[in-house]
Amino acid sequence: MQSPSAPGPQVDLKIVYDAIVVGSGAAGGMAAHVLTAKGMKVLLLEAGKQLDTTKELKSMEWPYDHPRRGEMPPGYHPLGMNEYNVRNPPYAKDSKYPHVESYVQGWNGPDYSKNIVVDEKDHPYTGSKYAWVRARCVGGKTNIWGRLALRLSDYDFKAKSRDGFGEDWPISYADIAPYYDKVDLYLGVSGHKENLPYLPDSLFQRPNKLTASELHLRAELAKMGRVLTPYRAGVTTDGLKHNKYRSKCFGRGACDRRAGGCDIHAAFDSPTGLIRPAMDTGNLTLRPNSTVYEVTVDKSTGKARGVSFIDTESGKTYEARARVVILGASTLESARLLMLSKSSQHPNGIGNSSNHVGHNFCEHVMGPGINGLVKDLVGKPRTLDDGRPGSFYLARFRNLSDKQSNFIRGYGYEGSSGTTMIPGNAFEALGFGTSYKKAVRDYAGAYISMGAFGEVLPRYENGVSIDPDVKDKWGVPVLKFNYHFGDNEKKMAADMAVSAKEMFEAAGIEVVSVNREILTEGWSIHELGTSRMGNDPKTSVLNQFQQSHDVPNLMVVDGSSHVNASCQNPTWTIMALCWRSCDHVADELRKGNV
Amino acid sequence: MEGHSRRDLIRIAAGAVAAVPVIAQPVSAQEAAAPRFFTPVEFQMVDELTEIIIPADDHSPGARAAKVATYLDKSLAEAFESEPRTKFREGLKLVDNMSRELNQKTFMESTPKQRVGVVAQMARNEKSPKKPEEHFFVQLKASTAFAYYTSSIGIHQEMEYKGNTMQTEYAGFDAGLVPIQLPESSK
Repeated sequence: MQSPSAPGPQVDLKIVYDAIVVGSGAAGGMAAHVLTAKGMKVLLLEAGKQLDTTKELKSMEWPYDHPRRGEMPPGYHPLGMNEYNVRNPPYAKDSKYPHVESYVQGWNGPDYSKNIVVDEKDHPYTGSKYAWVRARCVGGKTNIWGRLALRLSDYDFKAKSRDGFGEDWPISYADIAPYYDKVDLYLGVSGHKENLPYLPDSLFQRPNKLTASELHLRAELAKMGRVLTPYRAGVTTDGLKHNKYRSKCFGRGACDRRAGGCDIHAAFDSPTGLIRPAMDTGNLTLRPNSTVYEVTVDKSTGKARGVSFIDTESGKTYEARARVVILGASTLESARLLMLSKSSQHPNGIGNSSNHVGHNFCEHVMGPGINGLVKDLVGKPRTLDDGRPGSFYLARFRNLSDKQSNFIRGYGYEGSSGTTMIPGNAFEALGFGTSYKKAVRDYAGAYISMGAFGEVLPRYENGVSIDPDVKDKWGVPVLKFNYHFGDNEKKMAADMAVSAKEMFEAAGIEVVSVNREILTEGWSIHELGTSRMGNDPKTSVLNQFQQSHDVPNLMVVDGSSHVNASCQNPTWTIMALCWRSCDHVADELRKGNV
Repeated sequence: MEGHSRRDLIRIAAGAVAAVPVIAQPVSAQEAAAPRFFTPVEFQMVDELTEIIIPADDHSPGARAAKVATYLDKSLAEAFESEPRTKFREGLKLVDNMSRELNQKTFMESTPKQRVGVVAQMARNEKSPKKPEEHFFVQLKASTAFAYYTSSIGIHQEMEYKGNTMQTEYAGFDAGLVPIQLPESSK
């Protein structure tokens, strides 16, 4: 295995690149891969730093070998749910702590990801409550993502045709399926075939296994027509012969102990999965520490000329030019960039003649979930259960063949069970002394829990805009949120808790606790839809190939383009769509049509 | 992203720990004799309290062998804010006050059986603590559990954890082991 970080060719700002890609996460990394493989010269600009994540993550370090058992140094503070809910952003304003990071840094082992996520003090935002998790470094959030790699189906792409809400996507499953296949084969995904039309199978590598309690719940749920399947992980479990930067998974088990990340890169991350191979073509130039703040415009044609960016170390500004500008800065940052790029040709922000940029913002609602006890396992010899890329996924079952009376769309659950390195029940078991100690031992492997992820409807009024009064550390105006869960989300969330309880009871699992509380907006880290695709330039920002209706040589290839959120995790769809769009645009460039 | 619920549960339960950055270093005899934050008497008290919460038994050593008190001492010494230090010290005073009320002696002057009685009194309302000493018990226990179950003794001897190594096979059962017949309507 080779190091994920390496210097690329020198940046030459005098030349016109074939493409500039902004952002190096799942979307930007994929654009760089597809275009450089076609021989195009690409400049990849990343706002954050270049980190050697192999060294940062130290996936196998024992807690007792770390000076603070994985905790961050004194003076680092993770935001908690109360802070998000009681206060208004910017959350780090006037904080007594020198460093403030988002809630994921309140999980176990935050020291390993403290340099990957941003310091909230440098990156304020304003408006409504929102738990915004950002990673500014090469690879972005893919360095620590949760790895659940799911496909969408026509239940999602044609959701409006089914229930009348919102818009259909300008593509159907048949259009994207070949590109899901390409992503599966190039990056590796593990899972178990289920033949579900609403959760299509990938081209799976070896699946992880189920614990005894998960296998039991799977069998009981099947009687209700519901499917619990091994976690579909964006992890190569059999290895990838074409990628020398990634190892296959060895079930070491650090996946659930930290915010995420994998120091042998069996779990997909953009730096080793996409960017290093793209560099090996000789066609990719990567420039970290480059915060793009404007898409520049050719005054004569109105088309995109390139981008202006700030060197985050020196503070100097530069312009780079290209035949096509591709934004993959994340759903919210790409919207910010479009709205910041005002010119006489595009007074409303580039690509925003529809007034839809920043709107139709959606994600997943979460919080409701359940914790249960499988009594048959109490006191049994403890098995090793955490050497897996994930535990299980319980697929959507609402509003498929049924029709719920009080909400539309659906939700799925992510769950886990069994023993872990540090027994969670040690913090729950009551009492003290030898009886407490024995209870922790006897019950450690007997719990099973799951939490739901539900589709938030895309509504025009939910959105972000530029706050001209507040600027980030580099003087760039920040985003102002105006985003709230609505009635459908609240009713769906109530159903999540009720059906979780029903399912555990049906399976004979003792219910320990049911959580009914909705977590703060943003908690899912699945923000989508601020520049949606569509066939009508009046009601959409991008065409089906993620090209701006207004500016054909401007693309937005991240989650911004999604027309609805579905309830399935978005990363695999982001990459499949991006691959399809870049294939198309490369052809168009060759033909001189862009 | 990853389902958060279980990990959050752990964090919420361990909130007192989360707010207290903690340090573990190899303990030399000199360090053991000279705690950084606790007075020598306080250190002895914490060592005894944590051992009562997680004692040695016939299965594995307890909090004393896992050097939980040393760990808490370092963590408090390094804490960014002074509040956790103040609160911990106040908590230890409450323990002595309770001990005097119950046994007319300080906690360390009491017999081992009397000490357990003091802890039992503090632990009475663990689910919904009201009195200051009851709150202190919840905090002390969460800190003790975190320090113990992240220690080498806690992971390897007490929990006999076998992971964090290179495996060739995943643990568990194949999903296909139980044949599942889905009803036609859900297909």
